[in-house]
Amino acid sequence: MGQSNFKYFCIILSFLFTFLLFLAIASLFLIPNPSEILNALKTEEMMFSLKLSIITSSISTFLIIILAIPIGYALSRYKVPGKSVIKSILDLPMAFPELVLGLAILLLFGQSFIGEFLENFGIKVVFTKLGIVVAQFFTALPYAIRIIYSTFEEINPRYELVSRSLGYGEFETFFNVSLPLAKNGLFASTIITFARCMGAFGAVLILAGGSYMNTEILPITLYLNISYGNIGMAITSGILLVIISFIAILVFEKFEGYKGE
Amino acid sequence: MLIFGVLCGCLNENEEIQKNKPYEGKTITVLCGAGLMKPMNELIQNFENKTGAKVEVHYGGSAELFGILTTTGGDVFIPGAYKYTEDAMKKELILKETVKNITYHIPVIAVPKGNPKNIKNLEDLAKPGVRVVIGDPNACAIGKVSKKILEKNQLWENVSKNIIVKTPTVSQLLIYITTNQADAAIIWEDMVTWAEGKGKIDVVRIPKEKNIIKTIPTAVTIYAKKDGNLEVAKAFNDYISSDEAKEIWKKWGFIPCNQ
Repeated sequence: MGQSNFKYFCIILSFLFTFLLFLAIASLFLIPNPSEILNALKTEEMMFSLKLSIITSSISTFLIIILAIPIGYALSRYKVPGKSVIKSILDLPMAFPELVLGLAILLLFGQSFIGEFLENFGIKVVFTKLGIVVAQFFTALPYAIRIIYSTFEEINPRYELVSRSLGYGEFETFFNVSLPLAKNGLFASTIITFARCMGAFGAVLILAGGSYMNTEILPITLYLNISYGNIGMAITSGILLVIISFIAILVFEKFEGYKGE
Repeated sequence: MLIFGVLCGCLNENEEIQKNKPYEGKTITVLCGAGLMKPMNELIQNFENKTGAKVEVHYGGSAELFGILTTTGGDVFIPGAYKYTEDAMKKELILKETVKNITYHIPVIAVPKGNPKNIKNLEDLAKPGVRVVIGDPNACAIGKVSKKILEKNQLWENVSKNIIVKTPTVSQLLIYITTNQADAAIIWEDMVTWAEGKGKIDVVRIPKEKNIIKTIPTAVTIYAKKDGNLEVAKAFNDYISSDEAKEIWKKWGFIPCNQ
């Protein structure tokens, strides 16, 4: 009896909180009238911001996954000296505020030797669209590495050993055995990375400047329009971000779900 | 004799406390611009020690404070620019006779330490190769003022070519100058004084006739009357604009108004 009371308590609590969160998200959709959202969607600013968000996030996601696969694989399969230190540093950006990350990469790519080196080749990071990609890259990379790492962790190395014993080389084994086995995890991490890039704000604001119709991505549009006092525009960019995140989470859940069953 | 003396002393002290702490047990609410936080904390401490009143302060952006004033109230209203007090007067939320200008809010040109691009005046912001950052004119007060100053001096068009970024907040400008991402920005003079301690910024003043100087006002609201706090609120209003308070404003880099 006591046990079942506890069970219902936990279940009711889950329902209650889920409902509350749902209500909060729903109010974003309910408060403005549809024509206001439609008008905000049609503005040049919103279109610019949406397009820039999708383009920069796609580039960032591509670069992140390319890098996260070997890093995740290395951390999972090989004995790396100082592995726990490396893992801690890689995870760090998830724990500290994005604004701190933004300031850190501003100092790194600003007037440091790296910034000057890049500038010699005509590559400008600070206050540019490239800066958006760099900021998204640093914000989302840790998430990608984490998911890819745990994906490889769950794959039994025995398959790889079998492949090696049948005469496949190290790279061939990775490409023909490990990668296909990690397919679902890779897909899930791509989706989450993309969503994280779309939502990156603090680091982008500092490194790229967050300036109107120039380095303006969706979260910046939301922030700018709150300062301008255009609540309709702000809510619309919020709605777009919620929709994108929702789709991402749904896809992620689907793939994560397969793993459990 | 000794006992008498001690008694007298006690009595006197009690009397003094009574005389000098007339507002013991009273609490007022102050709505204050976030940029005024440093001098205001000190002023409130002094006022509380002197009068025994308790001051609850809400720091925020001017627009946000204006919102609080129109919805939930507050006894004393001190926004970052006179415009907000003016708007509040139009809505009849302010006791007009209590409006006082406390200090000036003066725009200056901030440059990285050593002034690498040798900026001497507003005209230099238009020189080729100078990286200028300014506040977004639609988002923050300093942005609005910067644009107006440049327009007033027929420089907006030429300086625009040099603007590498427009930021939504004034604090962001300070970061970009201190980290050498830009050669010049227009910011409030009082902010510079705080950062000057770090030794990363130099200041180029804008001549009065070319500048647009804002004032920071204080005023008692109609809510003070309703809450029965009128006397305390007025005393606070008078104190922060008093000669004694002017020294504190000066200490934090503000230039008090002479009225």
